Amino acid sequence: MDLSQNHIHNQFAANLYYQFGSDNPFPSMGTQQQFPPFTSPPFDASPSTNIPHMDWNPATMLDNLTFIEEKIRQVKDVIRTMVDSGGQLSCHQGELAQKQPVVNADLTCLIVQLISTAGSLLPSLKNSSFLSHPAAGHMDMANHVGPSSGLVPNAMTVSEENKEDMCSPEDYEELFKGWTDGAIEEGIEIDNVLVEEQDMKDGDEGIDGENLPPGSYELLQLEKDEILAPHTHFCSICGKGFKRDANLRMHMRGHGDEYKSPAALAKPPRDASAEHELVKRYSCPSVGCKRNKLHKNFQPLKTILCVKNHYKRSHCEKSYTCSRCHTKKFSIMADLKTHEKHCGRDKWLCSCGTSFSRKDKLFAHVALFQGHTPALPPEEPKTCSDQSSHAGSHQESTKVPNSMGSSFMWGASSGDNNALDIKGFDGCNDDFLSTANFGSFNLSFGPADGFTGEPSGGSFSMLPSEHFQSAQKKGQN
Amino acid sequence: MSHDSGSSAGAGVESLSLDLLAHALAGVRDPRDRKSCRLASRAFARAEAASRRAARVLRREALPRALRAFPALSSLDLSACAGLDDASLAAALPVPGSSAEPPGLLLPVRRVLLARASGVGWRGLEALVAACPRLEAVDLSHCVAAGDREMAALAAAGLRELVMDKCLGVTDVGLAKVAVGCPGLQRLSVKWCREISDIGVKLLAKKCPELRSVDISYLKVTNESLRSLSTLEKLEDIAMVSCLFIDDDGLQMLSMCNSLQSIDVSRCHHVSSLGLASLIDGQRFLRKINAAHSLHEIETCVLSKLSTIGETLTVLRLDGLEIFASNLQAIGSTCKNLVEIGLSKCNGVTDDGIVSLVAHCCDLRTIDVTCCHLLTNDALAAIAENCRKIECLRLESCPFISEKGLEPIATLCSHLKEIDLTDCRINDAALQHLASCSELLILKLGLCSSISDEGLVYISSNCGKLVELDLYRCSAITDDGLAAVASGCKKIRMLNLCYCTQITDAGLKHVSALEELTNLELRCLVRITGIGITSIAIGCTSLIELDLKRCYSVDDAGLWALSRYSQNLRQLTISYCQVTGLGLGHLLGSLRCLQDVKMVHLSWVSIEGFEMALRASCGRLKKLKLLGGLRSVLSTELLQMLQACGCRVRWVDKPLVYKG
Repeated sequence: MDLSQNHIHNQFAANLYYQFGSDNPFPSMGTQQQFPPFTSPPFDASPSTNIPHMDWNPATMLDNLTFIEEKIRQVKDVIRTMVDSGGQLSCHQGELAQKQPVVNADLTCLIVQLISTAGSLLPSLKNSSFLSHPAAGHMDMANHVGPSSGLVPNAMTVSEENKEDMCSPEDYEELFKGWTDGAIEEGIEIDNVLVEEQDMKDGDEGIDGENLPPGSYELLQLEKDEILAPHTHFCSICGKGFKRDANLRMHMRGHGDEYKSPAALAKPPRDASAEHELVKRYSCPSVGCKRNKLHKNFQPLKTILCVKNHYKRSHCEKSYTCSRCHTKKFSIMADLKTHEKHCGRDKWLCSCGTSFSRKDKLFAHVALFQGHTPALPPEEPKTCSDQSSHAGSHQESTKVPNSMGSSFMWGASSGDNNALDIKGFDGCNDDFLSTANFGSFNLSFGPADGFTGEPSGGSFSMLPSEHFQSAQKKGQN
Repeated sequence: MSHDSGSSAGAGVESLSLDLLAHALAGVRDPRDRKSCRLASRAFARAEAASRRAARVLRREALPRALRAFPALSSLDLSACAGLDDASLAAALPVPGSSAEPPGLLLPVRRVLLARASGVGWRGLEALVAACPRLEAVDLSHCVAAGDREMAALAAAGLRELVMDKCLGVTDVGLAKVAVGCPGLQRLSVKWCREISDIGVKLLAKKCPELRSVDISYLKVTNESLRSLSTLEKLEDIAMVSCLFIDDDGLQMLSMCNSLQSIDVSRCHHVSSLGLASLIDGQRFLRKINAAHSLHEIETCVLSKLSTIGETLTVLRLDGLEIFASNLQAIGSTCKNLVEIGLSKCNGVTDDGIVSLVAHCCDLRTIDVTCCHLLTNDALAAIAENCRKIECLRLESCPFISEKGLEPIATLCSHLKEIDLTDCRINDAALQHLASCSELLILKLGLCSSISDEGLVYISSNCGKLVELDLYRCSAITDDGLAAVASGCKKIRMLNLCYCTQITDAGLKHVSALEELTNLELRCLVRITGIGITSIAIGCTSLIELDLKRCYSVDDAGLWALSRYSQNLRQLTISYCQVTGLGLGHLLGSLRCLQDVKMVHLSWVSIEGFEMALRASCGRLKKLKLLGGLRSVLSTELLQMLQACGCRVRWVDKPLVYKG
């Protein structure tokens, strides 16, 4: 039972990823030729003993289905009232708008529930050769699909209003379009996993290392839209997107007590099948790129993160410009931040005009060329009025420790904010979460900006308090 | 020679050529005698002006005149020049390129000493470099405010020698400026320039292949610096005192350089015998090793390697190490040409060890056995027997030494010039023996409380060349002893009478007969008053340093006299004296060479008094010691002014306690 639950969970996650996180639900489809060929799967012998975790429990299935039925009825009721009231008075717009999110959430919940139920069903479908003769129970499910798919256009119109909170309508469309054949594909993929599992046992020594021979890894190619999608993890209940799985798990706690258990909150362990899977490598979708699988000297990318960074850096517009030098441009915010940390600071300048970011590099340059010397920093107005400058330098030297102190203090307080956020999760206030996160993000950058020595002393000293206020405001929200 | 020649033969001298006169003047060593010659005859004055090579300028007002008067000057000492700053230096120097001065009139100065000239910055240095096209050597040590810009100014001169000890602002960039600007640099000292790192030293080694002497003491450099320095083919002298990141591996790297003559690894705590042995190995010219306070003990590996340089090694300093008799025997048998050995604060140095050491080293001139508590008269007897050429004996805190040990020294070693008997419990009889050393220049008898006037009478009877006499806490000394010293030892320049509490104004009257006295310490002489100080001020006109701390009876009268007569006074301590603001103001206002004043707990001086006095002397002071409480009371304007003139103030906080 434990194992099967675990499996369901994994299936669930996989579904989420493929259905919501990508336009193309099955990235492996394009590279199927790389899979080991279908060799007579040993299903005929005794499938249930061979793959025990693929067993499905009819009791839970029944529970699931009744839940879905119940849910559909509820949603129907709500929408019916909406239709009725909408027909009577157009001034009830406000009420309508209030109900829309509720409907949205319910619908999403339904869809996900359906998928997960179906997902747990699929291996058994395969085993009972569902493809050739669908069983009565399965037909039942198909019946359920019918009405829910009928609801889809409704859901689409409703969700168009607040797109940013929900998945795009295309996702839903995709979801339902690929419902039947997707199920089949899913089954096939699981088959492959099984086959691979057996193959891997023979030779998984040669998998590690960087220079994987072509074919020794599973090559995936995400499409442009998938790569640029802002979120990869989506809430199965309300559909909200997240960048990190951990954030999603935090969010899920708001949806009920069952998500608050330590097991649900824990980082999902790498499931046994994944360990024995082929190593995954990725190809850049841009043809002609060295990271594209068609390139002569193709070098695969290691992780999805690599794909994202590579694609943004190499094939996207560099929209972030450095605010200091106004010349360097980046397509990734983190790259900009890294650059800004060093930009304009510790410039090591040679008398020939060449500048270096590091002293040893400058000195190596000076050592190499005859007559070059390190350039002195431009003369400060110190020597003209010694007295005032001395006082100034004294003040500065006392000021720096102060600001250090405040930055430390702010680091600590932002940590507290985070702690508060976690507590505040029970109320499922997503807005609060995201803005507070943003606030703490700012806080950590605020003092760093101040340190880079911009001549605006006044604003520098004001910075912490401004942040404090903004953080407070956000907290009140 | 001096006083008569000018006046009697004045007319004849005029007819002689300047060359001859210059040659004659060269034979006159004492600057006071030379001055007499100059004053006696114009011809001598002209000859002196034409031939003078070195000058030490004490006041900035005199600088332009000195530079004009001595056209052949090659060495210029501005280290004691009071009030020297950029403006005055630049104004005194000829400006190159101006129509009034043809290029030939630029200064021929080759060496400039600017140590502690804290008022001089890069503008002054730029003017100096421009005015002295033949400048080769500059000493900028202890100009704590000097930084990269000053170095950049100096680098333009293409120097051969540069000392920048404790120029705290100098970083790798400044060092790089020097390295690139002075490819012919031969000697460089960057001691205490804490900002300099391996990167700068590496560039230095790359750009200055002529370097012969490098001092990287107290720098935060690592073995990498030694690796780069080892590429210098002409390196002879390297000092790395207290380089705590250097260890045996670094010394091993340095051993690649086999032209070394002198190495100083003192206080490098991570250097062991193994590293020193690997460095010595392969050296053929090594003459000087200073391993004081670095190794824990000297091991056999070092001793065996010493044999390879036994012929050349002349100076060996092993202060603070664990040294046994067997070690000293091994050193003595291998290094027969030793001239100097330092064993101060070495545990385990016994009579046997010294006997076996000196048995072979008969050339020893300097022996330092400070704090070797176990030594007795037998060791001294052995030294006297074997080292007849001994010139300097440091026996401080050797409590078992007595007159019996000093007798053979005094009778057999007639060349003895310096002996330190501080804290040795010797008596007048010992001084009676020592009196036979007529060459004695330096005699230190501090804390020998059993010495009386009688002993001083013996000394003064025969040691007429004595230059320095230390009688710190010889409390039995009275005015009569000083009378004897003043009559017998006319050449004394440094005299320490601290805590000889029986001394009165009468004693100081005798001391005032010492015309050449430059340093006088009278700390805690509670009986002396302004009258004694007045006689000192009138008599000892060369006085440079005077310590009157805790002379509670000294009052304004003393200060008036000092300000009237002691025009050369540079350092003065008047803490706890009974002086008032008026006297202080007059003193600081009129002494034009005064640069360093310690005045803590002048309880009779008001805040206004301090303010006025400090304002009166503002441009000249370089160092001040004041009570911390004054910091908040004195006007910020004044403090900023002091800082701007390169004056450093030490604020002390200690309670007012009267000792006597």
